[in-house]
This record gives sequence, C-alpha cells and structure tokens, in this order.
Amino acid sequence: MKGISTRWIAIGVAIVVAVFAIVLATQVSTDPRAAANRSNLVGRPAPKFDLPAFDGTRVRLAERAGKTVVVNFWNSWCIPCRQEEGALRAFQREHARDASVDLVGIVRDDSTSTAGAYAKSHSLNWTIASDPGSSVAVKFGTRGQPETYVIGPSGVIVAAHYGPLTVAELDALVARSQGVQ
Amino acid sequence: MRKWIPWVLLAVVAIATITVAAWPSGGKQSASARAHGLAAELRCVDCESLSVADSSTVSARAIRADIAQRIRHGESDVDIRAYYVGQYGESILLKPASSGIGAFVWILPVLVLGAGAGGLVVALRRWQRTPRLRASDEDRALVERERELDA
Repeated sequence: MKGISTRWIAIGVAIVVAVFAIVLATQVSTDPRAAANRSNLVGRPAPKFDLPAFDGTRVRLAERAGKTVVVNFWNSWCIPCRQEEGALRAFQREHARDASVDLVGIVRDDSTSTAGAYAKSHSLNWTIASDPGSSVAVKFGTRGQPETYVIGPSGVIVAAHYGPLTVAELDALVARSQGVQ
Repeated sequence: MRKWIPWVLLAVVAIATITVAAWPSGGKQSASARAHGLAAELRCVDCESLSVADSSTVSARAIRADIAQRIRHGESDVDIRAYYVGQYGESILLKPASSGIGAFVWILPVLVLGAGAGGLVVALRRWQRTPRLRASDEDRALVERERELDA
C-alpha cells in the first residue's frame, strides 16, 4: 500500500511539473522582439493617423490608400535605429519613383527638435512625422524602436518587425504586402 | 465526532478569511481612481517590471492619457483591458488572466496547497493508527527478575 501511494504521489508531482514546464516554455516570453514580431495587429486594419511632418505638411494614412506603406518608428538616440538607417536610405532610393510604395518614419520617444535636427544633418529624405504624446506609437502597440509595420494597399497590417531591418527583408515584406511571394 | 470539530472550525475560519480578502470593495470609483487602477494592472511596454501607473516613459504616459480618454468616452474597465490585450497580447497584464491558460497560474497554487493538506492528513492518520506497544506478561516477568537481581 505504502509503495503504491508513494509511486502515485511521484507520478502526480511529475505530471504537475511537466505541465508547468510546458506552459512556461510555450506561453511565457519576455523577449520584446519575439512579442513584436508576432504583433496582434498583423491581419487587422492599421490604426489611422494624421501627424505633423518635419516638412510642415501632414502625414495621413488615409491619403495613402491603395499603396503599401512602410511605417518605421525610430528616434535619434537609438543605436539600432542608426544601424538600420543605411537600409532605409537604400530602400527609399530603390522606391523613389515607385508610386505604389511609401516609407514613413514616425518619431518615437524623442523630441521633435532633436529628431528634426538629426534627420536634417543625416539627410533623411523620406517622409518623417513627429508623434506628439506618442498616441500613434501606442495605437500601433509599439514596444520600442526601431519597429516597422508594413501596411498593404487594402489598409491591413501585413507584417510587423522589431529591430533593424535589412533592404532584402524590407523588400520581402513589401512583396508580401503586394501578394508577391 | 468531537475530534473533527477543530478541523471544521479551521476550515470555516480559512474560508471566511479568503472570502473577506477576495471580496471586491464596494462603492463607485472616481474616473481618476479607475484610470489609476487600470494603469496599475498594465505592464509598462518599454521598461522592466513596472506598471504603466508607476512608469514615467513616454509610452506609459501615453497609455495613461489614453485610458483616461477612454473612461471619459464611457468605456468600461473590461473594454479597456480587452483593448490593451488586443493590442499587446496577454503579456500586457501584470496579473495573469483568470481564464484560459492564465487560469493555470491561479489554479496551480490551490492544487499544490490541496495536495499538501491531503498529504498531511494521510500522514497524521497513519501516525495515529500506529499501534502503541503494551507490556506483555513476559515483559513484566523480565522486569521483575531484573529488579530482584538488583535488590
């Protein structure tokens, strides 16, 4: 009797520990990159925004309907953003005459004046907007920067990426948004 | 029957304590108290181990402003929580959800406590059943012989 009950207790404890380990391994994640890359917003309509651009105009998502819009959250002090800068510059050059693709930078967690001065000194020649109050960054569910969202022509978010992207990765995401694999 | 009375009393006290502790406090909260309460439930998205209520990051401030605005627009606490879970996933909640996979976190300690209490009861009952040794006639005779020899 004693041997059987001890065995059952051991089996019970082993099952509880195994289930707990499986739940921990599959459900718990503190890696913001992994969390952002499986953003809940992918497959859902992109949050609308209407922000002041550095060039004095307004940047409205609604005016870009029918285009693939690459929204890149960045700031002047983030080192990975600087690492990504070359890829964004090349991507912008590649699509400068492509009316179907727009690259929009949105400043996250930085002052407009500092980010504006940085953009000017580094000749960032794509559309950049500030996000007063970070309301758009929150609507997109951002966790840091750089963070990039690719919005397809139908206005649905096709992909989200946390961390610096390469030109090849950006091209692949844009191709996916346009139905090209 | 009488020996169960302390256990029943203990169970009553334990259940009463848990019920009182877990019972939601009544009264209608002000909008700012609701906003603070909700912000305290949400994890700061770009800092470690802090709630949105306790963090001073730009995103935490933006979320606090958004919560206040949603309350002004008449959204319920459930709606606001659901919105943020929809945006960021369950990980935005500092306290795991009490449904779905999150319920496991709440149920596990109860299971472990129950298993421990059960084990304790089994151990105590076994201990009580252990027969107490009584001196036999042979034992008594042996003791008598030893006493006589000492005398």
